[in-house]
Amino acid sequence: MPFIRKQTLRGKVAVIGIGMSPVGKVPGKSPLWLAADAAKKALADAGIGKSEIDGVLSSHAFASPFHRFSVAFSEYLGIQPTFSNTLQVSGATAATMFNIGAAAIHGGLAEVVLVVGGDSLLTGLTPDLALRSMTESRDQQYEMPFGIPVANTFAMTAHRHMKAFGTTPEQLAEVAVVQRRHAMRTPGAQQTTPITVDDVLSSGMVTTPYHKLDCSLISDGGAAFILTSAEHAKALGIKSPIYILGGGECYTHEHIFLMPSLTTTGAVESSRRAYEMAGYGPKDMDLAGVYDCFTGTVIMMLEDLGFCPKGEGGRFVEDGQMTYGGQIPSNTHGGLLSFAHSGVPGSLFHFHEVIAQLRGQCGERQVPGAELGLVHSLGAGFATNATTILGTENTL
Amino acid sequence: MISSEDAMKKPVPVPDADSAALWHGLRDGMLLLQHCADCGHVQYYQQAMCRQCGGENLSHRPASGRGKIHSFSVVHRAPGPAFKADTPYAVLLIDLEEGPRIISTYTGGKPEDVVFDMEVMLVCEKVNDEITLPRFRKA
Repeated sequence: MPFIRKQTLRGKVAVIGIGMSPVGKVPGKSPLWLAADAAKKALADAGIGKSEIDGVLSSHAFASPFHRFSVAFSEYLGIQPTFSNTLQVSGATAATMFNIGAAAIHGGLAEVVLVVGGDSLLTGLTPDLALRSMTESRDQQYEMPFGIPVANTFAMTAHRHMKAFGTTPEQLAEVAVVQRRHAMRTPGAQQTTPITVDDVLSSGMVTTPYHKLDCSLISDGGAAFILTSAEHAKALGIKSPIYILGGGECYTHEHIFLMPSLTTTGAVESSRRAYEMAGYGPKDMDLAGVYDCFTGTVIMMLEDLGFCPKGEGGRFVEDGQMTYGGQIPSNTHGGLLSFAHSGVPGSLFHFHEVIAQLRGQCGERQVPGAELGLVHSLGAGFATNATTILGTENTL
Repeated sequence: MISSEDAMKKPVPVPDADSAALWHGLRDGMLLLQHCADCGHVQYYQQAMCRQCGGENLSHRPASGRGKIHSFSVVHRAPGPAFKADTPYAVLLIDLEEGPRIISTYTGGKPEDVVFDMEVMLVCEKVNDEITLPRFRKA
């Protein structure tokens, strides 16, 4: 007998402010500054002061010496929250911050939660920290002695996907091409030079089947969001609150050799839970922010999030289904592949984009009439998966 | 934290309370798998508790060393200076005959010879007096 959740956070919490620091190459700025700059913009966007924040959730930062980033951040911004945590489930952290922030507000632990992250992977890492981020990402006993780069675990899943379903290197490359086209219309994006499938295939092999342009960027940047209860958003007179409709997570393994299937991930379960809570399905989504550390990751996620059947992700992308006019315009800002990827905060940029789209603020790259959006964050060779579904007032 | 100097060396596993037997076995040329006497589960990597039933009645038995490549990726850009001279090298996910999957690298041949479902055989490769790594060659 499955446990039925009677009372959920669906529609109880709204995003009332969003902010982003400069992204890409931002020399001379610390992760804390990048986070605080984004937070100031989110506060201004919401029209509230910093003293109104009583909760802070952050990711950690490679380029910051602080173990308790959320705590150091609060001191930096000059606030003393009564709810705070620094979350660490690698790339999935972004969506977990939204889910947990919403749960904290719904459960009465906090009323106004700042979700924030900032890191400077491009200009802020000392050589020692850069090496650490490269060599300490996998298990020191069973994985790293074999020389496993970050891209390698993801590459082995994509490679198996190619073997199992006939996904081609050209289809992988098409993801990078589409997202570059998206980034060209996004002010501030790090990479805006048009690329072709041939450019991707001739960009040099990193770890098969991934070429350099199949891999996400390395960037500086931060993003921040203000979450509060639906009632409080109303009392503040917020013009277009964007509601959190559903959240779900799934953690299937730690070591890549214990991943239950290399081609079907925990995103199936995390999104199933989010859809169930939201009362909507994949067909209802108007756009998505799909974690895109590598091109093949997007293809597998489009399948596991339910936008196309298993094994058809490559053809789905080739058919133009992940861009404007297709079934699910995805990563309309350019994503980690072309907009920016400053580590864990990278996936917060997907949230920034989806929320701005739902508010109708995206100008020439606006998805017309977008009301429902999904963001999926993942990390550590698909070990961690988290999904959040967002919607406008009309979708409540 | 790793220093630039340490990064020039390959990471060497440090056995812990859960894994001492595994590394001892490799030193003697055996890849030990844990067999659960309570539920029959066979597991790699080593821990003091069965991942299936939670039982602690585990025995170590040497694997046959035979396996099949489930997936692989040939590394052209090394994760740090220590592995640079080895590139290109093939990282393998191998399904062992006994069931468990293991991660390792290909040895005794060119990485471009590696294909899906290729049958491979264990090679115990000594790193130092303490540590021997399980690697795999074409069967």
